[in-house]
Amino acid sequence: MNWVDEAFGDPEYGEGRWYLNPKNHSRQMYKIKKTGQKAAAYGSDPEGTSGRMMGEIMQKRFTDPEKFREEVKEANEMTTKSPFQIGQVIPLQEAFRVAELAYPVASMSCICRIGARGQEERNEHEYSCTGLGVGMFKWERWPERYKGGVNFMSPDEAKEWLLKWNKKGMVHIIMTFGGSYVGGICNCDYPDCGMIRNRVDYGVETGCLKSPWVAAVDYDACSGCGVCVQRCQFGAIKFEVTTEKTNIDQFKCFGCGLCETACPTGAIELLDRESLPGLAEVW
Amino acid sequence: MAVPRFPTIIIDAAKCTVPFACKKCLQACLQSVFSVHAVKVERGRETDPSEAGAYGLNAGHRDKCTGCNDCIEVCPEDAITITFPPVEATA
Repeated sequence: MNWVDEAFGDPEYGEGRWYLNPKNHSRQMYKIKKTGQKAAAYGSDPEGTSGRMMGEIMQKRFTDPEKFREEVKEANEMTTKSPFQIGQVIPLQEAFRVAELAYPVASMSCICRIGARGQEERNEHEYSCTGLGVGMFKWERWPERYKGGVNFMSPDEAKEWLLKWNKKGMVHIIMTFGGSYVGGICNCDYPDCGMIRNRVDYGVETGCLKSPWVAAVDYDACSGCGVCVQRCQFGAIKFEVTTEKTNIDQFKCFGCGLCETACPTGAIELLDRESLPGLAEVW
Repeated sequence: MAVPRFPTIIIDAAKCTVPFACKKCLQACLQSVFSVHAVKVERGRETDPSEAGAYGLNAGHRDKCTGCNDCIEVCPEDAITITFPPVEATA
């Protein structure tokens, strides 16, 4: 079990996975009242705070690379007290389960894509990120953050929407906004996505933990077509020339399932990470 | 061990005034070194990408810059300067 499930999961719900625990989707998580105090937005600007802390640490890679590596390692080990937002890769089927659990679900523009490529998403045909929970009702308070507005969706519309991005080749990452409050399902790719990039390029784990699944190829069923190779955003898949089959490095695999959903012969299966002793602790 | 050489990337804000509207370097960079952010955020309204100085550009991932100079070529304002340290300095 990973530390997020241990801290925020409930064995009664969703196999103990934190993002399938209704408590992490509840209104009470969004605003936490302390006795004798006025209600304050919980982690009132978690994105901003996390961004600034990340920025300070990231700056050190230029000034003191050794210190930088140390601080990243420390942040990774801090787990529940981590200064960083929690994020975890999830496969499509689990994104569907979240879309049924969360309310409301809305599509919105992706802040990472705006930043990294200047990509403007002005309407529901262009939005590429998914916002979850009561915070979405207040989007009009931050017009610059929710540039272009938001589009509320029914659970079925949300599933169709997630499937659309899955087909295009985006990785679903469940994101928190303050503690374990689930705030969104991002549709991500490298290098635009800040969370994927921080992990793959700089080893910052908290914002992009691996999913509870891991991809495995059935060599008998694999035709060697190579469709899966171009789907992998984590560099875990190669075409093995010797065997003329796909080769997945399961230690690099994040368990997003993009290869599985695209395989024309059904040769890729997602296995329970914890069923494999060598991978059970690889998050 | 090979020591990476980080360049200094200077973006002249006096020349680069509307990076979000222009976005040429953001989209041309093979390594996605650049990022754009709103400098001016006002209550109740979106920031206007065509307003000079409302958005800022930075080279946050300059450790990923290879020095190909594609950004300098596409920049209509000649606002970008990239300087790598001399080889001796990184040894």
